[in-house]
Amino acid sequence: MSMPGIEIVLYTGAIGLTVIGLAGLLMVRNVFRMLLALVILEAGASLLLILSGFWETGVAPIILSGLSGNTPGQLMNDPVPQALVLTAIVIGVGVQALALALILRIKYQYNTLDMDKIRQQLEHDIASNAGVASPASAQSPDSLALARSGSMESAALATGDKHNG
Amino acid sequence: MDNIILVVILPLLAAFLMPVMARTSEVLARVTGLSVLFVSIVIILSVWGTVDKQAVSFAIGGYRPPLGIVFYIDQLSLLFALAIPVMVLLFWPWNKVTHIREYSLLMLLTASASGLVLSGDLFNIYVFYELLAVASYGLVAVQGRSGQKSEGAALAASLRYLILGTVGSVMMLIGIAIIYTQVGTLNLAHLSLLAPEKLNNVAGLSAFALILIGVGVKAELFPVNSWVPEVYGAVSTRLSALMAGLLSKLAVIVIIRLLVLLFPQPEALQLMAILGMLGVITGELVAWRSKDMIRMLSFSSIGQLGLVFVAFSIPGDIGLMAGFAVALHHLLVKPALFMLAGGWSGPLKNLSGVAKQSPYIAALFVLLIMSLLGVPPLPGFWAKLLIVMNLASQSAPVYSFALAFVLIATVIEAAYLYRVVMILYKQPQPDREPQQSRQKNHKFADLSIASAVAVILVVVVLQIQPMEKKLTSMAQQTGDRQHYINTVFSKLNLTDLKSQSQERQHLVEEKEVQGSK
Repeated sequence: MSMPGIEIVLYTGAIGLTVIGLAGLLMVRNVFRMLLALVILEAGASLLLILSGFWETGVAPIILSGLSGNTPGQLMNDPVPQALVLTAIVIGVGVQALALALILRIKYQYNTLDMDKIRQQLEHDIASNAGVASPASAQSPDSLALARSGSMESAALATGDKHNG
Repeated sequence: MDNIILVVILPLLAAFLMPVMARTSEVLARVTGLSVLFVSIVIILSVWGTVDKQAVSFAIGGYRPPLGIVFYIDQLSLLFALAIPVMVLLFWPWNKVTHIREYSLLMLLTASASGLVLSGDLFNIYVFYELLAVASYGLVAVQGRSGQKSEGAALAASLRYLILGTVGSVMMLIGIAIIYTQVGTLNLAHLSLLAPEKLNNVAGLSAFALILIGVGVKAELFPVNSWVPEVYGAVSTRLSALMAGLLSKLAVIVIIRLLVLLFPQPEALQLMAILGMLGVITGELVAWRSKDMIRMLSFSSIGQLGLVFVAFSIPGDIGLMAGFAVALHHLLVKPALFMLAGGWSGPLKNLSGVAKQSPYIAALFVLLIMSLLGVPPLPGFWAKLLIVMNLASQSAPVYSFALAFVLIATVIEAAYLYRVVMILYKQPQPDREPQQSRQKNHKFADLSIASAVAVILVVVVLQIQPMEKKLTSMAQQTGDRQHYINTVFSKLNLTDLKSQSQERQHLVEEKEVQGSK
């Protein structure tokens, strides 16, 4: 079976976008770029879903002339995946907006966008929440940086509150 | 029966109306939220017991399946539809400082969770799952504002949870795309009708793997559970209890529904068994090493969820029954433990001699962890016994491994829980006295929840026969694919549906012919 050219391009594109997104998530440390990788990943998945109901020769799924509308030989593209993708896109945009808001707040709090630093700071904070000193923070050279960012945190908090007010 | 849709609609409406109401009257908004929860409970209770013999489904908006969206109500979905508002009510933040948006998010959580368990449509499940995910990211993020926890930690935990969760959702979406390409429908009953011929292949298996990992993010499944200690460490114990107790089980229920209806291959079960047993062993090992109560409970929760997956991976109705037993047991015990741990934050060694100060709380804690561990005759023992017996009776090698892993994990679990009990009942040392007085006191509400759970456990011990009967009938109903199909398509001719799908197959072939021209 040979596949029409355009479908190969589209499938390659969809899988390519998914792979780029996943690779981006694994390799990038900047949280904003991770979010962008997530957007690309979602686009890939949406395209894959669209393709599950796409036929190259298909016409728009609109019945024009009565219920017995579509003439033989003219296949309609499946409208269901298109409706689904519309929903998925809307959900995706919502989640991305939420993530962006979180990233902004984290920037105010921790004064960094580096995922590794955010994770270290998070573990440190959780340990101090629980009253258990984090074993890493005592020796690691980051402990100084953490202490510094702690003082910056209060400054950033003030800015954050200003922004909120 | 049709009014059961209100348990989704009312909380959803309330979620978006409450912030508006709060502008005029904050009290009104809170009362609205609470009354919606009460109404939901009353609605569910009014239909309680009517689905014991025959499940019910209805099409929303009158559009008939397979294109219309259906709700499917059987014992399983009704039980969870009841558990959701009850648990949200129990863990409702009663204090005055909580911002209205937290209540609003809780209502969103209630609505989406109810929709998730009731829905009989694959894509609807995806949408409700995403709604649930967004509500829980939001709930985690707002924790820093309304508590003594650090705000940055809550935000960072929420973001990391969001990234992992979104990757999971995308995987689920790709899984759905594969299923749709293979079968061409999204209605679960219709899918189930066609699954034995169309999904019993490699494509079906890969779709299951994608959905398992995707939904597994919420269910604390083995490779995608890195968010668990971060989130539970950064949020209040109330929310941890709700998430570990309820939300993880909802994800498990979704996976089980899809597994029973869509994926007949034994490889799917074995995949779940492998991930489950890895979860059991890693969770318990890290819990053994953890130095404070919350972290220990978080990792023990990963281990217990692994056990749930191992139980569900046993083929047949007996596996479903074992799974329900251990899942429901964890649903009760883990929130109660989190509630007790809320008053015992700080390193474990600071807790020495606590039993002298508050003997009742310590005794309650011991009872709960004994049940978690599976000491006879507590309910946890029967659940674990069921798993071990049935794992032993399976012939596939993966189940023997699972059996070994479960037993080893139980030993590890016993070791660290015993250590905690020893610390609690140790003689307090004089120099530790000031530290102990700094311990926060348990809130009365937290204690009453834990006490109620303990009472339920004792009642279950006394009523073990009827419980077993109830679980068996629930497992049989859930495991009966034909029952599901017949319930949803009671008014339609099943051969019509098969021919419809053949028509599509025909069109696809026609398209391929055209493409090759």
